[in-house]
Amino acid sequence: MLNLKEVIFSITNRCNLRCKMCDIPSGTIEELSTEQWMNVIKDASCLGAQTIVFSGGEPLLREDLFKLISFTRKNNLSACITSNGHLINELVAQSLHVSGANVVNISIEGSRQTHDYLRGSGSFDKALAGLENLIKYKIESTIASTVSRYNYKDLLNLLELAKDYGATTVRLQPFNAIFLKDAGRKSEFLIDKRDIQELDKIIRDFINLSKEYKISVNPMGYLLKIPVYLSGKNFYPDNCGALWYSCPINPNGDLFPCWIEGANNKLIGNVKKESLHELWLSEKRMKMVNSIIRDGCKGCLMSCYDEAFNSKLLRESVVENAKKFKKVADYKKVMNKIVQSFRSQITRLRLRYRFYISYRGSLFKVVARRLPNIFKKFRPLKQAKPAEKEVVLSQISQAKIKLKKAMRVL
Amino acid sequence: MDILKEFETNLAYYFSEVLEKPFAKPCWIFFSLSHKCTYSCQMCGVVKILKGHELCLKDVKNVFEEISVWDWDFTIVITGGEPFLRPDIFDIFKQAQKLKLKIEVVSNGSLINQAIAEKIMFSGLKNIAISLDGACEQTHDSIREKWAFKKAVEAIKYLVAAKKAIGSGPQISVWTTIMKENVAELFDIIPLIKDLGVECLVYHPVIVAQEDMQNTSPHARFWLKEKDIHKLKEQIDRIVKYQRNNGLVAFLHDPYLWIKHFKGELTKREWKCNPFVFTNIGPDGEVRSCGAAFGNINKMSLQECLNTAEAYRARNTMKNCDKPCLQTCWANPQANSLPGIVNKLVYDLKNSNINREAKRELLDIALSRLIEYEGILKNA
Repeated sequence: MLNLKEVIFSITNRCNLRCKMCDIPSGTIEELSTEQWMNVIKDASCLGAQTIVFSGGEPLLREDLFKLISFTRKNNLSACITSNGHLINELVAQSLHVSGANVVNISIEGSRQTHDYLRGSGSFDKALAGLENLIKYKIESTIASTVSRYNYKDLLNLLELAKDYGATTVRLQPFNAIFLKDAGRKSEFLIDKRDIQELDKIIRDFINLSKEYKISVNPMGYLLKIPVYLSGKNFYPDNCGALWYSCPINPNGDLFPCWIEGANNKLIGNVKKESLHELWLSEKRMKMVNSIIRDGCKGCLMSCYDEAFNSKLLRESVVENAKKFKKVADYKKVMNKIVQSFRSQITRLRLRYRFYISYRGSLFKVVARRLPNIFKKFRPLKQAKPAEKEVVLSQISQAKIKLKKAMRVL
Repeated sequence: MDILKEFETNLAYYFSEVLEKPFAKPCWIFFSLSHKCTYSCQMCGVVKILKGHELCLKDVKNVFEEISVWDWDFTIVITGGEPFLRPDIFDIFKQAQKLKLKIEVVSNGSLINQAIAEKIMFSGLKNIAISLDGACEQTHDSIREKWAFKKAVEAIKYLVAAKKAIGSGPQISVWTTIMKENVAELFDIIPLIKDLGVECLVYHPVIVAQEDMQNTSPHARFWLKEKDIHKLKEQIDRIVKYQRNNGLVAFLHDPYLWIKHFKGELTKREWKCNPFVFTNIGPDGEVRSCGAAFGNINKMSLQECLNTAEAYRARNTMKNCDKPCLQTCWANPQANSLPGIVNKLVYDLKNSNINREAKRELLDIALSRLIEYEGILKNA
């Protein structure tokens, strides 16, 4: 049985912005209460999850966000927040720091002109102010951007911004139509086929510049697929983990296999009626996941499991180089090339690892968290009481030893 | 024997909380005798919530008789409204004296004249507390009512004079509520009451809404704002320094927790309620610890009230409460951890004068108590 790695909470549909590429805030929906979210977090911890992503709408519009974050951290999970940065004043940044948020993603779309066009005038400055406040309180900050026709020429600007402000990571994700109400508007954001080459060049420059600035970005294999994807083609990675390792939950508690299937109304259940534990292990979910894989997933290029593309690239490069190895007699040259490509991959992995330490917890933590699961299939769900009982019993035995010792000494 | 009794009490509180069963009895029993009061202070909700109710003498006497046979060290605190507004207040004191109960009273001092002060000295009270919320007339009167400061000071003077003349009587203390209005003069109260001859001073932070203790909204009127916190810190520093050298102030908890309390950063780790420590009986007879009432002494005995299903539910809510309110009566920090309880016993025994064999005997009894609870826990 594969374990849960990541749960994505869309904790609210409310948002203070009306962005061009997103229609989420248009509907109102009854949100789960604080306690209900806390139960989900507890269950996720029991299932061995490592990360909770708080997304929305704008998650900071929920007054109990800090409480949820600190509860997440108490349960040994990493907390990642996706925000537009407008509400992050100094006090909010301080609260995020105190509650223990690991990573905060701020959405920035490129230069001021592009950003303000897509997200509303004045929003660029506010987002940057938010980023500045986060960095002031030493919170790991990420610039996240949705690549579309409007901003693909501005991608290099993001790296400059990250360098200037001290953000450690820039994450790109191509535009996806699932957040649009009217799917007909999709073509508005896609690029022409003749622009593919230009975007490809920009992406390669983006990768090179990120190496130069030592800023971690998405895996290379993933980034290189963006141009073709944005021209209207879909990819399905062989080893996409979204269905196996993660699940999104809507503000009203609906649990989906993944965002894309959620848009197709494939619902597993609601966490209000059943616990996450029951839903995750349910037969219904297994059947649904198997049917999605059997019938062929349409594919997407969402960044949830971008690392899945990287291993493929590594394999491809090895195979390619091995082919050359047969043809060319100059072994040394080819060997050098192979070593070089491995080296570049390792440096990239090292950069990425720096990001993953904060995003998914350090390697040691991950292993430590996994160990009990290997020996004991799942920790019991209602662990609060037995745990307290065991602790008290061990305290009693220690107290008994202390009293007996006192009897001897006094 | 006191050392052992303290150990047993703490152990009972600890295991009551762990096992969610009342092994322990409350050590504070508050009687809000009446809703009536001479003042209508702005931070007090009793007058508004409990309008039209009054606990009758017979019910009070019944409860007194019931609890007088408890093998438990507890204190009864008479509050109100204003307890001295009741014509039968001295009958209540007399009954408590007859049954040898420890009893204290909290008053605003508005009705205490020379005659009543003298009568109080003979009524067997352990402590009488007068509320004083400011070091000057202006502050106190703005929180309470006109002439309130003058009357409180006069009451203290009468009490001190009566105690001096008679030679014995209850401890005379002052209770001060910490709030935005008086934060700058918390320390100034000390010299004032010292000159008057008061023996003890207790500070406690304001409750914003009496009907809902959990509501510690930072936007409420009396709540300390962020900019006032540094004033509170200054005052605490001065008070702590004074207390170290001269005593007089009785701290019920670490005073620096007030800062965290008003900032809204107080966590369970620093201050935890023990749901078994405190019980309040309202003017309508309703029994509660915190939040919802779980019984009525008009219908059943106090012990039965403490054992209702509602009582279990209310205590469970208190146990899981995330918002410690730092009130004076709700907690018993000594009984929060088992290692702490055992360490205290060993420390007390080390420093006591009793002989070696008696010490061993005490430790033996303590060990057997611990084993008893272990058995119950294992079977639970």
